Amino acid sequence: MVNKHDVKKRMRQLAAEYIHEPQQEAYKLDDTEMMLHIGPQNPIQPGPFLIDLKISGETVRDSKLYMGYGHKGIEKILESMTYIQGLPVTDRICYLSSLSNNEAYVSSVERLLDIEPPERSQYIRVIMQELSRIQSHLLGTGEYATDLGFVTMFLFMIREREYVLGLIEDITGARITHCFPRFGGVRQDLPDGWREKAIDVLSMIHEKCDMYKELFSSDRTYKMRTVGIGTLTKEDVMKAGLTGPSLRATGIDYDVRKVYPTLVYPDIDFKVQTAENGDIFDRVMVRVNEIQESCWIIEQALDQIKPGPLFPDELPYGRRTPSMRVPPGDAYVPIEDPRGEMAMYIVSDGTDKPYRVKIRGPAFALMQGLPPMLENVYIADVPAIAASMDSCNSEVDR
Amino acid sequence: MDILLGILYTVLGNDYWWGPWIRGVIGLCAMGGIMVSAMFAVWLERKYASDIQSRIGPNRVGGKYGLLQLIADAIKLFTKEDIKPDKVDGPVWAAAPVLMFGSALMMIIAIPFGAFIFNGTTYPLAVTQFDISILYLEAVSAIGIIGIFMAGWGSNNKFSVIAAFRNIARMIGYEVALGLTIVSVVIVTGSLNIVDIVEAQGSVIWFAFVMPLGFVIFGVSLIADMGRVPFDQNEAEEELIAGWGTEYSGMRFGLAYFAEYIHMVLGSCIAVLIFLGGWNMPGFLIDLHIPLIGLLPVGIFLAKWVLVMMFVVLIRWALPRIRIDQVTSIGWKILFPLAMVNLVWAAMLGLVWSW
Amino acid sequence: MVLKNFEEMIKNTFRPSVTRLCPEVPTEVSDRYRGMHKLDRDKCIGCGICAGTCPTRAIRIVRHGRWFPMIDFGHCMFCGLCVDQCPNEALTMTKEYTEAISPDRYALIYGPAQLMGEED
Repeated sequence: MVNKHDVKKRMRQLAAEYIHEPQQEAYKLDDTEMMLHIGPQNPIQPGPFLIDLKISGETVRDSKLYMGYGHKGIEKILESMTYIQGLPVTDRICYLSSLSNNEAYVSSVERLLDIEPPERSQYIRVIMQELSRIQSHLLGTGEYATDLGFVTMFLFMIREREYVLGLIEDITGARITHCFPRFGGVRQDLPDGWREKAIDVLSMIHEKCDMYKELFSSDRTYKMRTVGIGTLTKEDVMKAGLTGPSLRATGIDYDVRKVYPTLVYPDIDFKVQTAENGDIFDRVMVRVNEIQESCWIIEQALDQIKPGPLFPDELPYGRRTPSMRVPPGDAYVPIEDPRGEMAMYIVSDGTDKPYRVKIRGPAFALMQGLPPMLENVYIADVPAIAASMDSCNSEVDR
Repeated sequence: MDILLGILYTVLGNDYWWGPWIRGVIGLCAMGGIMVSAMFAVWLERKYASDIQSRIGPNRVGGKYGLLQLIADAIKLFTKEDIKPDKVDGPVWAAAPVLMFGSALMMIIAIPFGAFIFNGTTYPLAVTQFDISILYLEAVSAIGIIGIFMAGWGSNNKFSVIAAFRNIARMIGYEVALGLTIVSVVIVTGSLNIVDIVEAQGSVIWFAFVMPLGFVIFGVSLIADMGRVPFDQNEAEEELIAGWGTEYSGMRFGLAYFAEYIHMVLGSCIAVLIFLGGWNMPGFLIDLHIPLIGLLPVGIFLAKWVLVMMFVVLIRWALPRIRIDQVTSIGWKILFPLAMVNLVWAAMLGLVWSW
Repeated sequence: MVLKNFEEMIKNTFRPSVTRLCPEVPTEVSDRYRGMHKLDRDKCIGCGICAGTCPTRAIRIVRHGRWFPMIDFGHCMFCGLCVDQCPNEALTMTKEYTEAISPDRYALIYGPAQLMGEED
């Protein structure tokens, strides 16, 4: 029998070797250096996390990242709720991209149940995904603009986002936390007259995005602050496991909608937006281009959609899914969140509640990509870089 | 006319005991007038910013256009708790907003706010006129940075210290360019008195048209001097919480903030006086044969002043913020050589002018 | 260089503002808005499926003659699962949301009479 106290002593030794002493090393300061905490509560942050910066003058020499201030235990909560009760909980993992979180959950459960939604439901789900992508990118880019001091751009983007939220509210009934897909279909059909309204709003957003791209590209003070700063190379992104616009800005064209296509994405023709350098300017440009690409995808989907049933015929539940027993097994279906690749690994043991739900969130990797970029930059660049990664703190901590 | 002058000398002169007291009251009225104009400047900024951003600005206090919003804000600031952190450097921290406010108010005594023209003679409405007024104005407007540094150092806070350092770096660079452009104007005019500078500009040959390079340099340096975006690194909310104002709450913060707006008002006045012709009429009004008498120059001065302030507000809301190393490199590598070129051009102009 | 910014901002001053004039003008919500619930007395059979489905356990079934649901709007998250699961479509959601704000949390527990609209 192993002695419990020996085990504990050995674990304390290992912790000191691997965790505490390297930390103490990093906190030793020279005469010219100062420790600055961009701390858990700071007006610039979208949520609580801590970055310790070792600065000398105005240059950052070293940085350390601490997360976990907002841990809510969502994965444990999902274990004690039935599958349908868990759907509003997944809304709240990241409240900006809640339709994508719902989609990841529902796709994995549908693979466990071995059912496939009919075509009309798939088109509606694709439309909702792309609308969610548009509004998330608008807010993310606007928040990044305030961190540069460019407040007017934020207000312009929020104004556009209100129209998109109005479109979403017409279908689902809520502006955030939608809880819209169901197992095998969607909750409600598109209302009458929505199609014309959507086409007006989308063409307006397409024009405004052209204006944003021109404003960003022609403004010399903006380019002084963003071109060549916060560059990620291809090796850095592979090591950190980044996905999404931050990956595509370095030139690698990995988009989950093309690599592991679900729903009706194979029938829709769209291009994956990439850029060359991987600095702040390129990441923001990739996002604005993706908004225009999503407008184009929605217009194609609205052309191709045909009337039909919302749920498959042999399913006894339809819109109503009270306690249902899911056959045992596991499933992992990745989808393209506005921030990257999102998936939920659901393990089921045959009862009406999941045994384990592991959420693979894209924002965790985005935060991990931050400390390598913060070598030898100025303090003023730190919020610009952090905001251009567009990570969501509640998804990091879950 | 003699009766009027006789009355004025009796009331304001030194013959009786009430003369100096009444002059003091008029001086206080001038200070009050400046504060009202700073209130107007805050209202203009909020309303114009909301127009740029497709929203409605203040619209509740004081009628449909929210004219008295600043009074409501001031009442809020007066009723906040006065928090003094434990480890601040007491006298330094407490005196900093007072110093900023004082240096902004000291500029009032030398600026003429228009003129009163009667019977061909111009009586500029300034508190005093002295021979070196433009030099005095520039010197006093630079005292404010000592106040900001006191605030940053006395707060015992890393963010405030970084903001204070950035502030000094910015001011050292841009004071040089500002001074050189002012010197070039003085060379052309031949006198340091600000009233002479205004009177040397007729109706068409404002110095902005004759020395356009100097005007642009002066504009950029003035915005850097006033500490507004794109040069407001010392109070950048995103990096440094509130810069030097982190530890201030309530009316201490309000005083320093108000001092910045007074500086903006007076800086715009100086820009109008030196480069845009002061209270001289623009050329297109002369064709309408409107004679320049009475208090019309004051109206022209105020109109130009409002236009300059609107431009300053537009720059704030249209541009992102520049990083501090880029600020200093612009100040020393671009503005300083251009200011020297402008000085040479002004010297040549000065020869032509006096001839 | 920076002139494009100025031109765009000045052009925007001439466009109308988009602020919502709440509370003078009430905010328009869509027809499918998920607001507070309304119960239909004739259709409800007191089966309890809505109470079993609610993720926050905000619904309880109480007696008011027959068995009816009682909703605690302090816990309700307006997700709409109870409306979906009701077999007779007795529960629907209205566009009303300002009544769910109250300084007294016990006033937010709506019994069956309040849900049916028969009592204030």
